[in-house]
Amino acid sequence: MSATTVDASIGMDVHDGHGSHGHGKKGLMHYIWNTDHKVIAMQFLWTSIIYLVLGGSMAIAMRWQLAWPGHPIPILGHLLPSTVVSEDGALIPGGYNMLVTMHGTILVFFVAMPVLIGVFGNFLIPLKIGAGDMAFPALNELSYWLFSISGLIMIATFFAPGGAPGTGWTAYAPLSSHGPYNGTSLGQTLWCVSLFVNGLSSLTGAVNYITTVITMRAPGMTMFRMPLPVWAIFITAILLIFAIPVLSAAAALIIFDLNFGTSFYRPAGGGQPLLWQHLFWFFGHPEVYILVLPAMGFTSEILAVFSRKPVFGYKAMVYAMSVIGFLGFIVWGHHMYVSGMQLWLSAAFGVSTMVIAVPSAIKTFNWMGTIWRGSIHYTVPMAFAVAFVSMFVIGGLSGIFMASTPVDLFVHHTYFIVAHFHYVIFGAIVFSVFAAIYFWYPKMSGRMWNETLGWIHFWMSFVFFNLTFFPMHNLGLAGMMRRISDPTVYDCLKQVQPLNVICTIGAIGLGLSTIPFLINMFWSLKYGPKAPANPWNSTTLEWTLENPIQHGNFPVTPTIYHGPYEYSIPGMEKDFLPQNEKAPDHIKLEAH
Amino acid sequence: MNNAAFNNASLFHAPTVQEADHHGHPKTDPKICRLGTIVFLCSEALLFSGLISAYLVVRAAGGFSNWPPNFHDGIELPAMPRLLTGINTVILVSSSFVYHAAESAVKKGKSGSSLILLAAMLGATFVGIQCVEWTNLYREGLWFNKGGVYGSSFFTLTGFHGAHVCIGVLLILWCFYLQVTRRTFTPQRHVALENVGLYWHFVDVVWVFLYVILYWL
Repeated sequence: MSATTVDASIGMDVHDGHGSHGHGKKGLMHYIWNTDHKVIAMQFLWTSIIYLVLGGSMAIAMRWQLAWPGHPIPILGHLLPSTVVSEDGALIPGGYNMLVTMHGTILVFFVAMPVLIGVFGNFLIPLKIGAGDMAFPALNELSYWLFSISGLIMIATFFAPGGAPGTGWTAYAPLSSHGPYNGTSLGQTLWCVSLFVNGLSSLTGAVNYITTVITMRAPGMTMFRMPLPVWAIFITAILLIFAIPVLSAAAALIIFDLNFGTSFYRPAGGGQPLLWQHLFWFFGHPEVYILVLPAMGFTSEILAVFSRKPVFGYKAMVYAMSVIGFLGFIVWGHHMYVSGMQLWLSAAFGVSTMVIAVPSAIKTFNWMGTIWRGSIHYTVPMAFAVAFVSMFVIGGLSGIFMASTPVDLFVHHTYFIVAHFHYVIFGAIVFSVFAAIYFWYPKMSGRMWNETLGWIHFWMSFVFFNLTFFPMHNLGLAGMMRRISDPTVYDCLKQVQPLNVICTIGAIGLGLSTIPFLINMFWSLKYGPKAPANPWNSTTLEWTLENPIQHGNFPVTPTIYHGPYEYSIPGMEKDFLPQNEKAPDHIKLEAH
Repeated sequence: MNNAAFNNASLFHAPTVQEADHHGHPKTDPKICRLGTIVFLCSEALLFSGLISAYLVVRAAGGFSNWPPNFHDGIELPAMPRLLTGINTVILVSSSFVYHAAESAVKKGKSGSSLILLAAMLGATFVGIQCVEWTNLYREGLWFNKGGVYGSSFFTLTGFHGAHVCIGVLLILWCFYLQVTRRTFTPQRHVALENVGLYWHFVDVVWVFLYVILYWL
């Protein structure tokens, strides 16, 4: 490998050893058009970290306004455009709505989805199933560029006349579909165009993942020998294929209503504003599972590795994820109880929603079964994985009683929903993303991260997360409405204002907690100690490869002999058995 | 390669024997390409399902049988030209059969290029007749922004489909070009021809649904 140079910033080979057609490009082109799935994963990661900082800052600006309404926001106030802040740097009400919208949209579509699916889907699928790359490498890079372009279009909405849309990430019609109502016809149109392009990116990605998983597994890698993260992303990709096009269609109809005078959401022309909610939530509810399923997959694997035990109920995990994926498509109505719905219909949606608690409980039970009496290694990724389970239970439980219509009617427009949603999205999903980043960082970058900084990051984010979002339950039950920029104008909310201040202090701490994380990531890239090939003594295929991984991944196609989580096998000296190693003759493995 | 282990694993597994392209890179296996196309078409199916269900929701909200609304904004709304479009439907569907015949010819080692061209021309004829119909309806007072949701949904749904047909015609013409100039498609390997075919059949099937739902329901 004398012709091979290691690119320190991404930690993998620039040269592929067979000519210069496409992958072996040097310099800038290496980053602009590179079809190696590992490079594309890193492109997704760096881009979405930028959006994480953007979307997170917006949240802090909003929290500042809610705690101290009308006070100029330090630092951030001077960076925001004049459509959002007044001259002295305080949020104006319309600007608050714009931040609500952009915070939600950016963090869902430009942080959570690309990190969970773009980064880890790309990085893990080929490595874990023993493939050289994705089925369609060029399509994969196209997916990244569509994602990038859609992000730029989304940011451009801030500079439209009238500013960014203030309609929320759910963009309910007719507010979104009627220019005079939202005041920024162009901004809303760009928002829709951006989501349309972003959807194309997700779809090209999903086509790749599904095809790769079905056709490119190494010999011996049966479906039920696949590691759970691969199963999770595979099921997620199927959800993407069915959910995203519906959002694209709905967004296209908004573009038409705004610009070509069609009447889809306009009652005067015979249209139906409620139509948007049906289409949006037909996408929107599966979207929640699109985000949470990969997070569940990562957690399952990390818990097993650091408990040195097989995943408890591997097949049950797979079936539970499939059932969650299916049920996700028949519960969208529970977002619409307050939008006017027949009682029998809301009862039906309530029942189907509560049924999702069953597979979710199976998974939670299995996670506990996995660590039960395990030889638990307290590492940072393990801590985040355990945090995922506990926060998921809190967020999931509040979800169950909101599925009941009478409860939902009372809490729907309050901060209770905000608390529930963030317990799932941040407490569960983002914590699992942190777990995954710490866990696979040695393989992605070839370096180890600093453990002290990792623990500081964990404790800060765990404590400040709960400080931010737990009081929101109380705020909601006390009647604080969502999407208001100044709670102090309501007499009934004056008594709970101190809670708002507590939430804001938590949010600022949560923002600061990302600083040790980012420092750790960037510092370790260059100065971290070189990572061994298998730092966690893990069994799956990516850890059998030396760092940095070559273009094409496996020098020799591996053969797989057994399931993915063979830890602590009785009678064996080593406490783990990689998937490509045959068990010694005297050892009998359990099924698959 | 351990063949027994391989077969054991190959629930859906494609063979790994790969040909190389002119750069020396391995070509993607035809089965993998076909699967990719089918997954992509599933998402296309959901795009049209979204649009069709939007149409049905709007119809249902206004009373299902009260359609088309006779008047809107003082304009008498025209009825759908069922006969002309019916003929057009036959044209589009027959192009699918012609395309299939072209594929069979290629698989038997023939060129099939004239059949490929005929399929493209039938597709183009469909677009032409559809344009005439759009013009007629426009003259009668129906358009994206005229005739309320009746006009909106008709032009949006047929417009989305029309764009797909146009792309399909261009793809077929591209196949025709490849076959005439380079004789790209052989009985052994005809990946692009096969996948454009899948797309083309899909677009035709969607049209049958649209024709029934928009013109007869």
